[in-house]
Amino acid sequence: MALTAIDIYKLLPKTNCKKCGQSTCLAFAMQIAAGKASIDLCPPASEEAREKLSAAAAPPLPKVTIGIGEREVVLGDETVLFRHEKTFYHPTAIAVSIRDDASDEEFASRLAAIRRLSFERVGQQISVDLVALRCASGDSDRYARAAAAALEATGLPLVLLAPAGPLAAAVEAAAPSRPLLAPPPEDLVPAAKLAAERKLPLRVRARGIEGLSVALADARAAGATSLVADPSPETPRDAVSFATNLRRLAILSRNRDFAYPSAFDLGGGFPDPFLAAALLVAKYGSLLVLDSADPADLLPLLTLRQNLFTDPQRPIQVEPGVYPIGAPSESSPVLITTNFSLTYFTVRGDAEAAKVPAHLLIADVDGMSVLTAWAAGKFTGESISKMLAECGIGEKVTHRTLILPGMVARLSGRIEELSGWRVLVGPQESSALPSYLRRLPPAAFLPAHG
Amino acid sequence: MSVALPVPDFPGSILTVTLPAGPGGTPVTVGGQNALPLLPEGEHPNAPAVGMEVPTGPLELPPALAGAIGAFAGDPAAMARKCAGDWGARFLFLSLACCHPDGGGQSVLEGAAVVREVLSATPAPVIVGGCGDEEVDARLFPAVAEAAGRPVFLSYAEEKNHRLVAGAALAYGHGVVSWSPIDINMAKQMNLLLADLGFPPDRVLIDPLTGGLGYGMEYTFSIVERIRLAGLSGDAALARPVLCHLGDAWKAREATDPSEGTWGDVDARGRRWEEATGLACLAAGADLLVCRHPASVARLSGAAWR
Ligand code: B12
Ligand code: SF4
Repeated sequence: MALTAIDIYKLLPKTNCKKCGQSTCLAFAMQIAAGKASIDLCPPASEEAREKLSAAAAPPLPKVTIGIGEREVVLGDETVLFRHEKTFYHPTAIAVSIRDDASDEEFASRLAAIRRLSFERVGQQISVDLVALRCASGDSDRYARAAAAALEATGLPLVLLAPAGPLAAAVEAAAPSRPLLAPPPEDLVPAAKLAAERKLPLRVRARGIEGLSVALADARAAGATSLVADPSPETPRDAVSFATNLRRLAILSRNRDFAYPSAFDLGGGFPDPFLAAALLVAKYGSLLVLDSADPADLLPLLTLRQNLFTDPQRPIQVEPGVYPIGAPSESSPVLITTNFSLTYFTVRGDAEAAKVPAHLLIADVDGMSVLTAWAAGKFTGESISKMLAECGIGEKVTHRTLILPGMVARLSGRIEELSGWRVLVGPQESSALPSYLRRLPPAAFLPAHG
Repeated sequence: MSVALPVPDFPGSILTVTLPAGPGGTPVTVGGQNALPLLPEGEHPNAPAVGMEVPTGPLELPPALAGAIGAFAGDPAAMARKCAGDWGARFLFLSLACCHPDGGGQSVLEGAAVVREVLSATPAPVIVGGCGDEEVDARLFPAVAEAAGRPVFLSYAEEKNHRLVAGAALAYGHGVVSWSPIDINMAKQMNLLLADLGFPPDRVLIDPLTGGLGYGMEYTFSIVERIRLAGLSGDAALARPVLCHLGDAWKAREATDPSEGTWGDVDARGRRWEEATGLACLAAGADLLVCRHPASVARLSGAAWR
């Protein structure tokens, strides 16, 4: 449990000496409780106070990394149980599996399919993060070659699902890429030794929370430190329950023995993997292995993940400003929309489809949709007129005609009054922009007089 | 060695609400739980219920829906029978879009007649949805309340129209769905307003407005979680079953656009889009889901655990 200001105050010297910069020890305790100060700023603090406070400040769920460089995947390092309490930091990592006993041709085409599981949505790239290599051949050389080939073809970090022998062979081939070692439960100890020796992350798989408490202790005893816990559920329902319990043990109980990211292998005949995966993205799954490489499965899962791991305090947004659609000229239409990514990318896509060059003004409304921003009083006649005057569009075009989103038609009068621009009300949905823009008479954008 | 699990102990529980059925039908009861969704802890006397929308008026169906329900366009009674029968919907959400000026423009009396027709076609519990046009709905709900031969729920009562809708529902023994735009304070305020009118709390469902996957779903997810946590923590005005209508999932380009080859089959993708939206709602705490694709009923029922 996080310490309260009163708990912290009790540990301080209570002399109000002000060396920390605060006028009283209590004020300082409140700063620490709010995460705004650290005990290091109090020189007279006792050793005991230092120890207790730094333990409490340690993240409840330490992070584990797989892969290196740009493709590094971070698991764990979460601080809350519900996204509205702050935010979730590290999206559920998704691995798609491949078997090492596939023919060369099948193997290559499956890797190509995995590489294609990457989509652009609202200006972000959402992609499958890892390749999970299943050892089905039992052949160490073959497995090691497959690992090297998968790395080479995709550049994605690997999850090595293999017994101790093939695992060791693959580590020889792939250790610098920092793969996750994922042995079956019976090979835990040799794999844990290997992980310790090569400083690699290890997935520990055992039955349920009780099973994990033993297996995680075994892995630690063998020297492995970077661990991921797989409670090997048999059903989606078990999976959600185990994932929740692991996360609660870490965050509510501060139980260090279970403070590890969770992993779930939803392949190999696991019942209803899509359903389990969606629920685990919502409820505390850190790493999921899926057998499906069907984009019709992955696009919805990756979108769900993108939604739930967005910071609730900060919608995905774009820089406000004037964006060109095609190569606009001084007589091209001027459109306005908001800086909510979803709105901007939808409108931009539709405006581009029109193949009519245009200037698109992106209003700064703190990342809200058109109607939400209107309802919040951020997309108003005043704010739009101010933008028209200040964003420099007046120098880019010779006309003074603005196309407004249809949903906020009611703002037209006020804008015309305040800015002197003429307003045309566009369609409600930007999907109607192509036909709308093509139908506009060129006379709409003649130079303004006076 | 046994590991002590930190199971939260909530002081409150969610009010039990029943959607009545006609003779020979099975009512739907939801609520009653004192724990978070999906977890084998606390009491969950009732599983979440999955129902289907029965559309009216002209339909422009995306590919995945055209194949599945296209044959029933224009015949709500047949669609209702199919939903409650073969497709396994536990309740129906009859949407009277046909009365919207842009959706067919049928009269309020014609709308009421559709309600009667559907109610006699199946004994399944029914929620009747308005057309979304403020002015039309103000006349439609009283007409529906009077025409319905057995108790239904009227969807929606919101800040502006709640007196009228709740009044009509009270006069004829119906329930209401209290609607607010993804806002916990407004959701609470709506229920307090209904209570002020003397509306029985066990005939109220909360509709928090459900954004589709990729298009605002995360806002709904967090509002539903917050409503549920508040209710379990003892806030009686929020301790009510939550209804999520998944219709917005079908507005997503990803669910409907056949032209993107790299996105996979549009039929499978559309179904997954609705399913993922529904699963997120269940994980957040929804008690009732309304879906449009028949396959979603079975799929989502697969996670409607007690
Ligand atoms: C998600 C959401 C929120 C989120 C915020 C999301 C965000 N970042 O903006 C939250 C929960 C925070 C929120 C808050 C509020 N919301 Co809100 N919200 C929504 C919701 C469900 C979806 C909005 C969305 O993402 N739309 C998708 C984007 C892409 O749409 P868009 O920006 O409008 O763009 C489209 C068109 O406008 C057009 N377009 C856009 N730009 C341009 C440009 C040109 C030139 C043209 C031609 C067309 C065009 O094309 C786009 C694609 O179709 C809508 C309901 C709905 N289904 O629309 C309500 C809605 C917008 N919200 C509403 C309200 C009342 C509010 C609040 C005041 C109350 C509340 N719920 O707390 C607050 C205000 C904010 C505040 N004070 O903080 C109302 C607005 C009422 C009205 N009719 O004006 C709505 C309509 C819900 C409702 N039916 O009551 N909201
Ligand atoms: S430095 Fe330490 S002892 Fe001095 S006032 Fe600050 S908290 Fe108290």
